[in-house]
Amino acid sequence: MARVLLIEDDDKIRTALSLLLRAEGHQMAEAATGEDGIAAFSIRPADVVLVDLMLPGIDGFEVTRRIRRISDVPVIVVSARDNTHDVVAGLEAGADDYLTKPFVGKELSARIRALLRRATRERNESPRLRVGDVEIDVGAGAVVVGDRPVDLTKTEFRILCELAVTPGWVVSRQQLLDRVWDYEHFGDTRLVDIHIRRLRAKVEEDPAHPARLVTVRGLGYKLVP
Amino acid sequence: MSRRHAGRRSGWGLRSRVTAGFTAGAVLVSVTLAVATDRVAFHFLVQERQNTAVQQAYLDAHLLQADLAGGSASLARVLPSLKTGPTGHVLIYQGGRWFSSSVASTHHDLPASLVGVVLSGAPATQRLSTGAEPQIAVGVPVPSLGIDYFEVDSLAELQGTLRTIGTILLILAAAIAGAGALIGWWAGRRLLAPLRDVATVAAAIGSGASTRRLASTDADLGPLVSSFNAMVDSLQARIASDARFATDVSHELRSPLTTVQASVDVLAGFRSALPGDGATALDLVTEELARFSKMVQDLLEISRSDAGAAPQELVPVDMAQMVTAAAAAHRRPPVPVSADPGGAPYVVRGDPRRLQRVLANLLDNAERHGGGAVAIGIDRRGPDVVVLVDDAGAGVDLADRQRIFARFSRGSSRGRGGGGGGTGLGLAIAHEHVTAHGGRVWVEDAPGGGARFLVALPTVEETGTGAGEVGP
Repeated sequence: MARVLLIEDDDKIRTALSLLLRAEGHQMAEAATGEDGIAAFSIRPADVVLVDLMLPGIDGFEVTRRIRRISDVPVIVVSARDNTHDVVAGLEAGADDYLTKPFVGKELSARIRALLRRATRERNESPRLRVGDVEIDVGAGAVVVGDRPVDLTKTEFRILCELAVTPGWVVSRQQLLDRVWDYEHFGDTRLVDIHIRRLRAKVEEDPAHPARLVTVRGLGYKLVP
Repeated sequence: MSRRHAGRRSGWGLRSRVTAGFTAGAVLVSVTLAVATDRVAFHFLVQERQNTAVQQAYLDAHLLQADLAGGSASLARVLPSLKTGPTGHVLIYQGGRWFSSSVASTHHDLPASLVGVVLSGAPATQRLSTGAEPQIAVGVPVPSLGIDYFEVDSLAELQGTLRTIGTILLILAAAIAGAGALIGWWAGRRLLAPLRDVATVAAAIGSGASTRRLASTDADLGPLVSSFNAMVDSLQARIASDARFATDVSHELRSPLTTVQASVDVLAGFRSALPGDGATALDLVTEELARFSKMVQDLLEISRSDAGAAPQELVPVDMAQMVTAAAAAHRRPPVPVSADPGGAPYVVRGDPRRLQRVLANLLDNAERHGGGAVAIGIDRRGPDVVVLVDDAGAGVDLADRQRIFARFSRGSSRGRGGGGGGTGLGLAIAHEHVTAHGGRVWVEDAPGGGARFLVALPTVEETGTGAGEVGP
């Protein structure tokens, strides 16, 4: 159904995950190092990239950053450590989501499905949204703030759309988790907060004092009309 | 056992013993000195007195001789006029007869030995203690008059002086003994001060201040301080390496687990193609793998708190929201949540991830051992927010109520049997996390039967920074 690039240095894990994702109907591309993975991606982009954080040579964080530089493809980082630091660093490098080893197949495929669905779902909604000076062309996936076009990843774009359909209304973190990542990501507010931070860096003039995408204390976020 | 032994041995503390030692030493020294001083003074004063008495006797005898030589005055007439002081008497022996200056005094008062010595021609003195008060008797022969001259005088004055000296010495001795006791007490205190420091630091380390060390303040205590600090360092290194080992093992297990999990997931796709036994075996592997993964995660979680990792990112957490979400996220049919809607928000300060883990583990425990959670409540008790989870099981025996929060404890009673696919760490993790938040977790009987698990967390006053604020 989709083309998945798997960058993982452990042969056995790579083989098993490829078997699993192939059984789900995905088309698999594999790389054992970060360098190979980036090369493979530049030759033939994938629909989803799965990156292990602990790689020989350039690590998963750097791979994520480099891919993010050339593409807005959904990236899932896979960590062997579930410490907050790795997860946060991975998300800050530009990942859309994360998984901690070991994980069950259902979890992995649900996340891939969610990321792919997000990339296509916008087309069913109203073609254009305008909140304040933020203009969203839902169909084209383009965003203009004032008269400056901004380049968003698919996840960032999705968050902005979720906030834009109810301008001035607060959307809670859990609601964003449910709607944007749409599987059981119960209570993991880091995912939301880090994406909001990245989004602000792109749509705000002064990200430290947001004027468009504001935090409503204890409730969530809203887009100021 | 060793503790009891030590307790029996040290009926007296070190300080008491030092104080007693100093006191005893001071008493010994002061009493010896006092007695010696008293003896020396006594002998000196008595000798002095005796010399004086002999000289006085010669002088008096000489005067008497002058009186008698001057005229025909008889001895009996001159005798009473002799000046011998207010308490002295004179006795004279002349030609076998005794003459006395006082009717109260006769030659029978004189000791025979003294009289014997004097009559044989040598002067002599002797102290008498026969009467009501001590006296001194002096005898000198006066050959020119053909008499032997005796004087008897009271020693009461000397006795008084000696008594005064004795009293002063006694007071001094007592004062020295007291000073000795004081010095002993003070020295004991000084000596034990470094040990008190050791005890204070040891207690601080024991209660979690793992970076505290003894400071070296005294050259003599250098070895104690450095060996104490070295001991704490090595103990801590040991604890850290134990905790790291558990973490490392769990990490190392993750890669093969990931492979096995993915492979089993692939196999699950072929389950319908497997013969009956094969499918059963696959189900077993699937179930146990899930449990194994959970155990690895739980071990990591608990070894992290063993390593002393403080809860990260303490933020205000609305427990009512968290409880509602946890109840909703629970796989079973939704559990009713009761909370006082009108009250102030149930905000505590904590690490949301860990607090979620606590709730999830309690719900999981209810599921596994208590026939499922039947109610979740949130309440306020004094300064605490209390979360209650009631289950439909048979409750927990009193004897087990502490034990079930220990690692890998297996409930033994009322059907809370082991197995059930748990890791044996869920309640232990809940306990660790709650304790790390300064709270308490315990179990009671639920009003409707079953067990009621309670978590009490200290509340915080909501400050201006507000709940859930993460900043830009």
